[in-house]
Amino acid sequence: MSVEARNHFLISAITAAFLLLIAGLFYNQILRYGYYSRLARNNSIRVIPIDGPRGDIYDRSGLPIVTNRLSFDVALVYQEINDRRKLARLLSKALGMTGEEILKALEKARKRPYSPVTIAEDINKDAAIELEEASFDVTGLTIETRSKREYPYKHYGCHLAGYLSEVTEGELETLKDLGYRSGDLIGRSGLEKFYESYLKGVDGGTQVEVDSRGRQTRILGVKEPENGPPLQLTIDMPLQITCDKLLGDHKGAIIVMDPASGGILALASHPTFDPNIFVKHGTSVRRKELLNDRKGRPMSNKAISGIYPPGSVFKIVTASAALDLGKISYGTKFFCGGTYRLGKFSFDCWKEGGHGSQNVVEGLMNSCNVFFYNTGRALGVDNLEAYAKLFGYGRPAGVDLPDEVSGIVPGREWKLSRKKAGWYEGETLHYAIGQSYLLVTPMQVLVMAAVIANNGSLVRPHIVKRIGAIQTRMPQLRSIGLKSSTIQNVRGGLFAVVNAQAGTGKRAKAEGVAVAGKTGTAQNPQGATHAWFCGYAPYGDPKICVVVFLEHGGKGGLEPASMARGVFEEAKAMGYFK
Amino acid sequence: MMKIKKIKNFDAMLLALVFIIFIIGLLSIESATQAKNLPFMEGYLFKQLTWFGVAIIFLIIAARISYHKFLDAAYILYGINVALLALVLILGQARLGAQRWFSIAGFAFQPSEFMKLTLILALSAYVGSRKGDMDSLKSLMVPLLLMGVPFALVILQPDLGTALLLIPVFFAILLIGGARIKYLIWMIAAGLAATPFFWHMLRGYQKQRLMVFINPNTDPLGAGYTIIQSKIAVGSGGLLGKGWLNGTQNQLNFIPERHTDFIFSVIGEEWGFLGAAAIILLYLLVIHRSFNIGNLTSDSCGKCIAAGITVLLGLQVVINIAMTIGLMPVVGIPLPLVSYGGSSLLATLVAIGLLINVGIRRSTF
Repeated sequence: MSVEARNHFLISAITAAFLLLIAGLFYNQILRYGYYSRLARNNSIRVIPIDGPRGDIYDRSGLPIVTNRLSFDVALVYQEINDRRKLARLLSKALGMTGEEILKALEKARKRPYSPVTIAEDINKDAAIELEEASFDVTGLTIETRSKREYPYKHYGCHLAGYLSEVTEGELETLKDLGYRSGDLIGRSGLEKFYESYLKGVDGGTQVEVDSRGRQTRILGVKEPENGPPLQLTIDMPLQITCDKLLGDHKGAIIVMDPASGGILALASHPTFDPNIFVKHGTSVRRKELLNDRKGRPMSNKAISGIYPPGSVFKIVTASAALDLGKISYGTKFFCGGTYRLGKFSFDCWKEGGHGSQNVVEGLMNSCNVFFYNTGRALGVDNLEAYAKLFGYGRPAGVDLPDEVSGIVPGREWKLSRKKAGWYEGETLHYAIGQSYLLVTPMQVLVMAAVIANNGSLVRPHIVKRIGAIQTRMPQLRSIGLKSSTIQNVRGGLFAVVNAQAGTGKRAKAEGVAVAGKTGTAQNPQGATHAWFCGYAPYGDPKICVVVFLEHGGKGGLEPASMARGVFEEAKAMGYFK
Repeated sequence: MMKIKKIKNFDAMLLALVFIIFIIGLLSIESATQAKNLPFMEGYLFKQLTWFGVAIIFLIIAARISYHKFLDAAYILYGINVALLALVLILGQARLGAQRWFSIAGFAFQPSEFMKLTLILALSAYVGSRKGDMDSLKSLMVPLLLMGVPFALVILQPDLGTALLLIPVFFAILLIGGARIKYLIWMIAAGLAATPFFWHMLRGYQKQRLMVFINPNTDPLGAGYTIIQSKIAVGSGGLLGKGWLNGTQNQLNFIPERHTDFIFSVIGEEWGFLGAAAIILLYLLVIHRSFNIGNLTSDSCGKCIAAGITVLLGLQVVINIAMTIGLMPVVGIPLPLVSYGGSSLLATLVAIGLLINVGIRRSTF
């Protein structure tokens, strides 16, 4: 083919396509003009969407935690209103709206005169029936039924459920292809966010023909909405409520887990919020307060998104590392005289006068700092870092909730890149007792406790057990390679913490079940010490693991240990230890 | 001397046509969005004008710097663009589950919009530099790869419309670049044979859009609804139209996306057959100017660039209008210069700048 022919072919093809367009226009606009102009003039086709409800969420025994109920909204189609007085009378009678409110509602409806504009949300059923009956007489008024998200347990377990809010205009740009419409709600935190793509239903709708007065004349097509599939959780709602009640007004978190499967039985983070507040459209004062509360941060899930120094609960890692690497053995004893000297610095034990000579079990039982200073020095920073990572610190535990954070496991390299300085020996001492730069989430502490409960296996926690009819994949336990003698000695120490006369965690001792655990009292630059307790029961055959964390909550051996006892006793009453 | 020649060959007519079409676009956007009653400074018109200002600067840059410099950098630009496409995909997929959707939302900048241009440059650089030596099968391998990689990335995004534009652009450049007709036909045949494979790669909503095109009754509420309403709007415009700002279908809020992809339904309804056909003819003039620029230059790279851009602009117009009047499936391609949207306007004006560039440097050889 010659060059000219090629050129000619190209421009001819394009020109032909353009002429085809004009022919198409001619067909639609001239030949079919009568047909289309009648369609445009006589009637209009409208789509009335029907929401596809979000999937429900149930606890392990089928109690509904998040559900939907029918709600009734009042909407006005401004163009179709022909008797404003009658309408106003009706609205004030049925809904008790004042004249001013009615004017405001009309003004709102005037902005989009041809489509229904919601003016009152979630009115009671009797008023809805009254308005529905009257709407045959009063044009321009419609009652819309929507399925409304409901959280029957309100504050209890709110960080599990999460909350919803309207999609923004910007998000809609990309979300509309996935079936979102303006005014739709989308998960913003918790399971509502993490499982958004599953929970969201598929909207349906009715296509209707309406006459010039806006009345439906014919239904052209119906597409049934589809429910999102329900989620079944590993959560035990009664136990969840117990945990929430135990926390009360404290700031902090309690998590309870089945160590063998990683199934979370309860997860409470305080302060809390009521997810129901976010379901209504528009803004409210209470909602703004919750979102802007920088001090209590009720919207943040402290169990997985808060990072804190672990303090003495970290001694579980220090002890395990030293035993496993042969730096100490069961028989190794260190003497605590109340202080430990390194060069010209002295490092104090929490107990003035000291604990005397102790082995590892006694060191854990007393939570003796001097014992662990010695142990930490024998280990060195690199081993502490390696074992901290082995126990799951420094990365998200992998639970199926959004916004889980990693925390910080410091080391030589970390310090060099972040602080532009080398590692000091004194920092190793702090490291060994869970201070220094170490920052962890309560969930990570729980996973660490589960490693001991599981005979040295790391578990990945999860919350959703089943999506619709499909069982979610159960994560496998993974051994981190600790020697069995290491685990036996650490377990002995944790048993003594709760059960020995001198144990720091005595208050966790529960009626009728053997508990083991570790307390922690972590200093922090923000104020009073953070208080920790982590543990498991029964001692011989662990069925549940617990972590209690109280932000600026004082000593771990006091309230956290008592709260853990509360959890263990409730679990016993519920039959977990049978 | 050079300067005089440049001014002499500057295609003022092309630029004038572009301005006229853009102004028609502004009028249509105003009509399509007036029901929203936004203050001017917050409205669509103001944003579109702002984008136009930005795009004009880029047009001048694209016209001033010799296109040979762009060709020198073509593979680098192409590589960066492909990397950006891949990045969008990775960012989109790294967060599975519920997060998948938001990651793409953050991307206001659409690399796929510019992929069309960087592909034209890369193909032209390759094909043009081998002038007269394009008739072996081997010489088609590199162009095929150049097109195939971004094609796959764009289709995975998924942006079916843009992906489908890359193919004709590819063939146009090979045709003008001197590839053997026999091989081109083979490639088309092979591509058609592979279509069922691509069907499986399409996302659910894309399959649905194609199904709806074949039978609009399969989804009277979603995509089918838009097509029906758009056809009613255009058809009821008749010979002379209902007048600017007076389209009932348009003003009654019946057509979604009418200020972006379905803007032509507003034009058809309000300006009637005469107005709509006149706009199509204006576009056709642009296409012919663009084609002529390629025809008049003696540089084979320049010819390839002009051919690529001619086909790119022409096809966008054809596909957009054809989908508005129900002749083609809804694939989400904006009407160049008219649809509201910054990325498309920017890419179109840069393309026009490149054309002017090829035009004013036609006698430097």
